Amino acid sequence: MTEASNGPRGGSEVGYFLIRRLHSLTGIIPIGVFLCFHLTINATVVLGPDKFQAGVDRIHAMDELGVLKIVEVVGIFIPLAIHAVLGLQIWLTGRQNVLAYRYGANIRYTLQRWTALITLAFILFHVWQMHWLGGWFPPGGEQFVPGQAPKSAAEAIQASTWYAPIYVIGVLAAVFHFANGIWTFLISWGVTITRRTQGRVGYVCAAVGIVFAAVGLSSLVVLKTTDPATLHVEPHEASHAVAVNLDPAD
Amino acid sequence: MATKPKVIVVGGGVGGLWATIRIVERNVPVDLFSLFPVKRSHTCCAQGGINAVFDIKGQEDSVWQHIVDTIKGGDYLADQPPIRSMCEAAPGLVRTYDRMGVTFSRTPEGIMDQRLFGGVKNRRTAFAGATTGQQLLYAADEQVRACEADGKVTKYEEWEFLSVVLDDKGTCRGIAAMNLNDMTVHTFRADAVILATGGLGLIFGRSTMSTNSTGAAASRVYQQGAKFANGEFVQFHPTAMKGHDKLRLMSEACRGEGGRIWVPRTPGDTRDPREIPESERFYFLEEWYPAYGNTVPRDVASRAEFRVVRHMGLGVGGQDIVYLDLSHHPRAFLEARLGAILDMYRTFSGEDPYTGPMKIFPAMHYSMGGILVGFAKDEQTGGMQSIHPDNHQSTIAGLFACGECDSAFHGANRLGANSLLSATYSGMIAGDASVAYTKGLKNGSADTADRHFESEKNRQEEINQALISSDGTENPFALHRELGELMQEHVFVERDNKGLDKALEGIRQLRARSARMRVDDKATRVNQSLSWARQIQDMIVLAEVIAKGARMRDECRGSHYKAEFELKIPEGKFEGDPEFERYKAKWKANNEKWLKITVATHAKDGPKIDYRPVDLSVLAPTKPRDYR
Amino acid sequence: MADREIQFNVKRQDGPEAAPYWEEFTMPYSSGHNVVSALMYLREHPCNANGETVNPVVWDCNCMEEVCGACAMLINGVPRQACAALVDDLEQPIVLEPLSKFPVVRDLVVDRQRMFDALLKIKAWVPVDGSWDIHRHAPLISPNEQSIRYLFSRCMTCGCCMEACPQFQQDSKFIGPAPFAQVRLHNSHPTGSFFNPDRLHAIMGEGGITDCGNAQNCVEVCPKDIPLTDAIAELGRQTTIQWIRDLFVR
Repeated sequence: MTEASNGPRGGSEVGYFLIRRLHSLTGIIPIGVFLCFHLTINATVVLGPDKFQAGVDRIHAMDELGVLKIVEVVGIFIPLAIHAVLGLQIWLTGRQNVLAYRYGANIRYTLQRWTALITLAFILFHVWQMHWLGGWFPPGGEQFVPGQAPKSAAEAIQASTWYAPIYVIGVLAAVFHFANGIWTFLISWGVTITRRTQGRVGYVCAAVGIVFAAVGLSSLVVLKTTDPATLHVEPHEASHAVAVNLDPAD
Repeated sequence: MATKPKVIVVGGGVGGLWATIRIVERNVPVDLFSLFPVKRSHTCCAQGGINAVFDIKGQEDSVWQHIVDTIKGGDYLADQPPIRSMCEAAPGLVRTYDRMGVTFSRTPEGIMDQRLFGGVKNRRTAFAGATTGQQLLYAADEQVRACEADGKVTKYEEWEFLSVVLDDKGTCRGIAAMNLNDMTVHTFRADAVILATGGLGLIFGRSTMSTNSTGAAASRVYQQGAKFANGEFVQFHPTAMKGHDKLRLMSEACRGEGGRIWVPRTPGDTRDPREIPESERFYFLEEWYPAYGNTVPRDVASRAEFRVVRHMGLGVGGQDIVYLDLSHHPRAFLEARLGAILDMYRTFSGEDPYTGPMKIFPAMHYSMGGILVGFAKDEQTGGMQSIHPDNHQSTIAGLFACGECDSAFHGANRLGANSLLSATYSGMIAGDASVAYTKGLKNGSADTADRHFESEKNRQEEINQALISSDGTENPFALHRELGELMQEHVFVERDNKGLDKALEGIRQLRARSARMRVDDKATRVNQSLSWARQIQDMIVLAEVIAKGARMRDECRGSHYKAEFELKIPEGKFEGDPEFERYKAKWKANNEKWLKITVATHAKDGPKIDYRPVDLSVLAPTKPRDYR
Repeated sequence: MADREIQFNVKRQDGPEAAPYWEEFTMPYSSGHNVVSALMYLREHPCNANGETVNPVVWDCNCMEEVCGACAMLINGVPRQACAALVDDLEQPIVLEPLSKFPVVRDLVVDRQRMFDALLKIKAWVPVDGSWDIHRHAPLISPNEQSIRYLFSRCMTCGCCMEACPQFQQDSKFIGPAPFAQVRLHNSHPTGSFFNPDRLHAIMGEGGITDCGNAQNCVEVCPKDIPLTDAIAELGRQTTIQWIRDLFVR
């Protein structure tokens, strides 16, 4: 009775789909991947300040190649901004009802939204405190010194009694948002289809979340409880030499 | 006809939806009216399946056998050419449903499975889980939605059909209907009208039917001159669970899977049934009918239950209840075989049918009778001409009827799983017939004078106004309860003339009282009380048709049973024996007298009953049914 | 027990524009009542708890067997079929409200036309050449696939899933969970699948599949236990593939 029309139904619909899928994807790649790296490298401080510093040096080698800023902007900040803006828009399409429907997935749906907000606020704080815009919002931003990573990070976190709890909340929110995000990602893209599979994968995601929460918190414990002075590291000559050779202007 | 024709279909069960599809396929637009979104129609309650012969079970089944089963099942009281055509069309219809995507249960080979159903020997019932009716309804609903997408169907859902609009010659030219949101009355022009408004279970108070199956629409056209046939033939289902609101059907499969029906031997025994020992249980079907036991036919089971409760006073707790017990089976067996049905019992009763017996009683289940419709016989095939304006046309020109509200196919009793078939088939035929009819019209409804529509609208508005402003004392809902009690007391599975006289007297009193109804709801929106008050008046009219038909028919046939006139097969005697031959002669004489269709015509002082011969050209009765 | 009563608190509304109000009703106890049969009693005795005669409460119902979908309402805050809600199982007073995600017509009657419109939008049918017999069945379907399709084909458009969904709102474009089950159903029919691109495109735009937030309340409240979330995940896969196909194949 009806004719088939197999063509696309118009640009706007396909575009909408792309944007939503982009939101879903950016949460895992690159943001999720970055989060894992970031937490793991931070956690090496548990093994000693030198290990942590070595990890930071390896990353900042890119700086000396002149590409770190590009990688940060293109690989992290732009995807993060896309994910955040689209995410806030998605927030507005729903109306949470967890008080009426206290099912597990609905609780996670609600948490996914609030942890998003917490994570976003935390990231802004974290970026200000450690890296950028310190001069714009005084006092006390831009604390992180790449060449003295463990010591400067510990000093920053210990600068106020508020900072450690903020970091704990922020890290836990980010990790939850990430782990649950994997779960919803797999559903949205049609990887896990049945309720049974989704249930099983849910445990895997929970495990991932617990592991990264532990990883993230472990570095915080060290950075909060260790005297910054003891975290001083001697600058590594070799890497410095390479940097000089490659970038005479430095 | 100068203008393009248009057809109105009233009712959106499978009958109405199939009519709609057929009309649209012939490029005639349809206005489809329904009390509720058509997807909620009563067809969804049909559980068992739909009969069609595919002969895929190695049983050498044949369409002829389906025809024979249907004719005999109806005790020869239905015109046979339409039955022949219906059974011949059945496989094609079910194939079409399959193509429409119905989730028919499958065999391991992936073809449509077929199950055994009551009253026949062969497996010829196609089914979709335990909700075949729902699945067929949805398939038809989806196809109509596709027509809607093409702009060929306009749905008027939440509209109530009030009457047909007749011109000076008594030809149907449209309908009057009420918008159930704002309760305003409107008229609509149409060149043909098809009524597909379903059954009339609510006339019996509570039944296995949906709460909207009042029969009011059929009653309204009956009161406008359409004749009503075989009203007294009403099927009672022996295993329905009790409820304040509805008697929910417990499938025949419960008995088929070994369910035992019993009552405590002691009247008024109030013990928990699980504590009553075997010796104090009366398995009356097993005692009375040792050959068949609990699997006796529906009508026999219903009457036995009735007897044990009403005549012997053995109803559970003194009520209209007997036990249907499956609890002797292991839980796993029951879950696998009857899970969906037993879960429904548990949902609606709150009691566990896995560990204790279910409480059941017979309930009104299907109306074989309905609006009298015609057919055009095909002399060459002995069936019905496939496209002809006479098919399914009522005695009002231009008004057609299909589905349960018509009187074709089922005669004195309906074969299980033939109702979805007859609804589908008659919808198809009525749709085709309505288009054929409009083609033969000289003047379309567009030429009908406005005054006919205006006067009908005024008449309907006056009825509404009279009810709304009435200062009467009768509560329309209480009247319905009383009507139901009366019908279940006297016009039920077992009838006698004294009781039927009481019923007729009671109905007349109810009719008088219904003129003094008061409508409690004073709102002008969604006034369900007003709607109901109108429907109860119409139900009382049809109740009288049913009771009077039953009063006048002094015999036992199909679902209609009067003990006084029962012809009993002499026990142990067979053909050739003089006693059997005497019985056969009586049986023949009875057929001479009563093998005819009851035709009711509306009159102010109650129905006028006539009889019409049955077309027996396919299979004339030569000897009595003998299941021994 | 003679004095035992059934108490109701009903959220009433005289019309779409009118303000809602609460009214209490009581009726004599009798075992075996469900919410509809109790409302039937109250309709016959339209008296509120204060003994005042009031307009009877109006509601939708039809089949009384939980297959037609008419009588869905909020009963003690839970969206379900009133006919299958046994009074003996409910906490009293029994609170009845109309579904909140659809416009109220009057009292407990709501307008669910939007759900039927969605079925139109997603082309929830298997196109056939005509209703006449073509002397052929549908292509073979395995018993296993049939049993999965059967789960979806029992959707009675009652609206419980829509009510519980945090993403479905009166003022949002999301078509809600129920229509997805129908896309899944029709896409899996051997000939229905010829039109999969049409149905998939219909759910790839705004308000479509990507607006699902995976709260999964739908599957929790569905009175027919329809695996709605399986359908949604399956369609996540199908739409992704369709999107790639649109990009590269056409």
